[in-house]
Amino acid sequence: MRLVAPIQSRVNNRQGGCLVAVAAALLTCSPAVANEKAVSPHSASHAPAFHNGDWPFRPPQRPTPPDVADASSVINPIDNFILARLEGAGLRPSPLADKLTLLRRVSFDLVGLPPTVEQQAAFLADDRPDAYERLVDRLLASPSYGERAAQFWLDLVRYAETDGFKADDLRPNAHKYRNFVIRALNDDLPYDRFLAWQLAGDELDPQNPAALAATGYVRLYPDEYNAANLEQRRQEILDDITATTSLAFLGLTMGCAQCHDHKFDDIAQADYFRLQAFFTPVVARDDVPDASPEEILEYRRRLADWEAATAEVRAEIDRLLEPKRQQQREYGLGKFRQEIRDAVAVPAGERSAYQEQIARMALKQAEPKDKDLVAKLSAEEKQRYEELQAKLKEFDPVRPSPLPTLMAAGDVGRTAPVTWLLAGGDWHKPADEVIPGFPAFLGEASAEVGSPTTGSESTGRRSALARWLARADHPLTSRVIVNRLWQQHFGVGIVATANDFGAQGELPTHPELLDWLAVELVDRGWSLKHLHRLMVTSATYRQTSRVDLSPAEAAAAKERDPQNRLLWHARRRRLEGEAIRDAMLAVSGELNPAMYGPSVRPELPAGMSRSSAWPPDERPADRQRRSVYVLAKRNLHYPLFEAFDQPDMHHSCPRRAETTTAPQSLVLLNGELAIAEARRWADRLLSARHHDLLAVISGAYREAFARAAGDDEIEAATQFIHQQIRTSGESTPEAATAAAVADFCHALLNANEFLYVD
Amino acid sequence: MSIDQPAHRVVPRSRREFLLKAGGGFGALALASLTAKNVLAREASAVADPLAARPPHFATRAKSVIWCFLDGGPSHIDLFDPKPELSRLDGQPLPDSFGRPVTAMGRTAYTPLLASRRQFRQHGQSGTWVSDWYPEIARHVDEMAVIRSCYADGLNHVGSVCQMNTGSILGGRPCLGSWAIYGLGSENADLPGFVVLADYPEEPPGGNRNWGTGFMPATFQGTKFREGESPILYLAPPAAGGQRQRAKLDFIQQLNRRHRQERAEDDQLEARIAAYELAYRMQAAAPEAVDLKGETDQTLRLYGIDQKETQRMGRNCLLARRLVERGVRFVQIYSGSGSKWDAHSNVEGNHARYCRESDLPIAGLLADLKQRGLLESTLVIWGGEFGRTPMSESGNGRDHNPYGFTMWLAGGGVRGGATYGATDALGLYAVENKVHVHDLHATILHLLGLDHEALTFPHNGQDERLTMVSGRVVEAILS
Repeated sequence: MRLVAPIQSRVNNRQGGCLVAVAAALLTCSPAVANEKAVSPHSASHAPAFHNGDWPFRPPQRPTPPDVADASSVINPIDNFILARLEGAGLRPSPLADKLTLLRRVSFDLVGLPPTVEQQAAFLADDRPDAYERLVDRLLASPSYGERAAQFWLDLVRYAETDGFKADDLRPNAHKYRNFVIRALNDDLPYDRFLAWQLAGDELDPQNPAALAATGYVRLYPDEYNAANLEQRRQEILDDITATTSLAFLGLTMGCAQCHDHKFDDIAQADYFRLQAFFTPVVARDDVPDASPEEILEYRRRLADWEAATAEVRAEIDRLLEPKRQQQREYGLGKFRQEIRDAVAVPAGERSAYQEQIARMALKQAEPKDKDLVAKLSAEEKQRYEELQAKLKEFDPVRPSPLPTLMAAGDVGRTAPVTWLLAGGDWHKPADEVIPGFPAFLGEASAEVGSPTTGSESTGRRSALARWLARADHPLTSRVIVNRLWQQHFGVGIVATANDFGAQGELPTHPELLDWLAVELVDRGWSLKHLHRLMVTSATYRQTSRVDLSPAEAAAAKERDPQNRLLWHARRRRLEGEAIRDAMLAVSGELNPAMYGPSVRPELPAGMSRSSAWPPDERPADRQRRSVYVLAKRNLHYPLFEAFDQPDMHHSCPRRAETTTAPQSLVLLNGELAIAEARRWADRLLSARHHDLLAVISGAYREAFARAAGDDEIEAATQFIHQQIRTSGESTPEAATAAAVADFCHALLNANEFLYVD
Repeated sequence: MSIDQPAHRVVPRSRREFLLKAGGGFGALALASLTAKNVLAREASAVADPLAARPPHFATRAKSVIWCFLDGGPSHIDLFDPKPELSRLDGQPLPDSFGRPVTAMGRTAYTPLLASRRQFRQHGQSGTWVSDWYPEIARHVDEMAVIRSCYADGLNHVGSVCQMNTGSILGGRPCLGSWAIYGLGSENADLPGFVVLADYPEEPPGGNRNWGTGFMPATFQGTKFREGESPILYLAPPAAGGQRQRAKLDFIQQLNRRHRQERAEDDQLEARIAAYELAYRMQAAAPEAVDLKGETDQTLRLYGIDQKETQRMGRNCLLARRLVERGVRFVQIYSGSGSKWDAHSNVEGNHARYCRESDLPIAGLLADLKQRGLLESTLVIWGGEFGRTPMSESGNGRDHNPYGFTMWLAGGGVRGGATYGATDALGLYAVENKVHVHDLHATILHLLGLDHEALTFPHNGQDERLTMVSGRVVEAILS
């Protein structure tokens, strides 16, 4: 029989590595376009000691930090590695940034918020030699740290709270996965456990609600639950999970091997499907309680009592509805092909694993809701139904309220469906059967999947994958994650292509440093906070971002390392949309620091698409929560985030683009958020500073830019405010001043100094 | 160090140079750019502008694209692909020789065939077949290349609209318009290079993903124009708190210039200063572009803007011409936005309405482009995400048909009067000279002077391209 339209032959006629001149010019000349490949590879003279043919597929060994000629600026071993390369290239590091610049930088990097005036004063007043280290410890201990650090992870796993596709339905419990990530990072959950729980928390720690919430990772694929071609949909989901897992945890582009052996890396198509085999038994689980074992036990006991008490009433309700239910289910199943209907027709306990997966997907669509059935009852039946419902209601006082549930994943049972190597990656061209296994090029193709534990309804495949990834000597896991942390603090990873450690990726600028950090992570119990601390307390991190060298030195440095890949100065970066919004709320004083919970819905501009726009939260305070809590909707991005390069939530995003566009200016100039926060900020400043304009101006500078205003700046601001007062058209001097100061504050929120971090 | 001490000193070393680059303020620069056709604005920006116009891979005629997207899937067998055999078999089941296609509604693989109730006639010098639903468009057949053998991979709207735009039925890839401006930039610095227009408030299925950039930077995304005088989100300052913007803008730039003086090496800061200037210019340029007051009554009539049924689509078609005239690279117009062409029942009533709404406006667009000498340099595309089945649905409707359907191209570089490819006797499957969506995309890029295999963007280890791993230029429809 004919299935979908013939799929194009999947010959790989890709122009390997060939960028057209236009595109190449665009990517290398324009710093406005940040992309993984936008950073041109360092020149041959900077080439690392070994070729990446072997690297990074052997376990990292801890190298000895190299000696450097001038050790006076070394703070920790990171600096030895950086300095050695700089000295080798005849370059010098830049001087350290001043205290306030550093404070602002490290605050945005670790907690995603600007330092308050009090924090600025306290840090300036702290003369102890380890004042900076104490600051870093305070920031890492702050709950805001997890809210900041989570965003990188959420980008990587293409986190969203809706399905995408046309319906873009809400996933009501998706936020619990996000909250798991924030909590885990705040608790410094060791990274090996962090990743293992996401892949297989249900198998590894089935009593632990946090581990179960973590399996939400497996559910983050875009989905169309009402697809007609379920077999294709199932395969697309598996491909999505396989590609994302490979990118996020392994830093490998194994998705390229879906249709054919990898063109550039030694990844066979079989490797791809062996990796996929760990996930083929997966089913969506929306019934997993978000509760402790004790709570679950208690709930089940009370539920059983209620069920016993209401057995008769419920049985009669069932008898009334059942004929309609069957009719409606049959009608709903009519849209599927015969094979799918056949799978559903097999009684539940007798289906094969594959039939069970498909049947569940079909029934999710076809199973009618009770209220729709009631509408189909005769008048007489309906009356009886209502009587029964009333009777049932009498038992409500002893009915336990349902436990909250998670968006979780599980296996279809103890037996996995067959995993097929698909010819050309095409779902209806199964070729060979494959079993779970690790990429052959990493040295060991076969996976040891222990037999499932007694009582478990799971194959144990995902925990086998998790155990392998979490091995201390895994060649990629630790390197890939420390590289991501490095990118967060230094702008570009040691391997610039953070999701591609393969041959098509960039060579590492400092391979020994990467290995040193990787071993350090494992030796310190996979503590991410320890690595953050090491990085941000290094002298390398503390350099100024200004090119503060003599003209001759600056010219030489720019010639030898124009991209600053050797880190002879700090890299200035633009805030992400989320951080811009948080910073605006922070300076205005309106930021609501409440943590966790379901997502929030800030106001949207008028005229957004009717079908996808959300109604804003009723309580204004809810609209002023941190950006990480704003509803992540695949088909409608919050306009400010969208303008500032929020990823599209469909693919793993290892590093955000950093574009500079006119719509960004419009959203800050004319968007309701910036204007409203400027107004609130102005009102707060005016009342706190008793309407003393000079105090208002210098206070605003400190809050927005974490520095004092210069005399010329105070003068310019004063002039501007007076000019705005003159032209305000307000009826009272107070109102005119308030409007003018709001304009001044609004201008500060638009200033480059607000949007960039030195 | 005291917190009240100035942290930075002002070093006014590059002020003069700066003023030369950035102009004396918004007003001066904006005026200059509007009068000097953007040249000054381009030169003012010290940073390479990712949207700066770039030459194509090879010389070509088409400079811009206007794509009329019939949202929901128009019935090719009632418009451009007459099927006498279908009339003969009206009411009978699909013959077994056709197999049982997978259809969106499932049941429609078994429902009776439904003959077209339309009258078909040959038109123009070329004798291209068009039904009586499109009398006005039929006058332009000699400019059009009709491809009757299109096919696609998706069955439902969201996947199929997504594929027609991005090449894949799964979301997350850049759309054709984004690839076009990634490759070619735009000719007008004061307007978005890629504009999307829709005739109804409902969005096409999948929403902004259809003009999104997927893994490419947002710079290349389409801008959906909103109705009214302020077509771009946040273009106009809000009524409350948005007044006296000019003075505010000048003050922002004053702050930015001082900030920049001490960071002379950072081009990004300069780029953002330029972005504010562009935003300001856009505030004037975009409302000017959508203001139809200067158009004559004759022009308005040509597009059907004087008639209730055609005014929505007519306005968008006229806007498209105005945008293309102003150098916008890519304009996409959704007709029946929100799957309105999706005639699962009553195809006669549904299509009569939406054909009426689109016929005169699209014909007017072709005529107007031609009389202004713009058709040579503008590629006009007509089509939906799929066609419709010869099998009936709900008695008098038709289901989705991605297996065979019609699209047509006209204008820059297209061989007018051509009819290419064929579906089977019932119009169910494309059977002759089949043209996949990737082939169509390859052809459109080719007409814009871009080689679909060379226009690549690196992403997660692959040099991605619009046509993924396939795509073939349909040479037969090139002039």
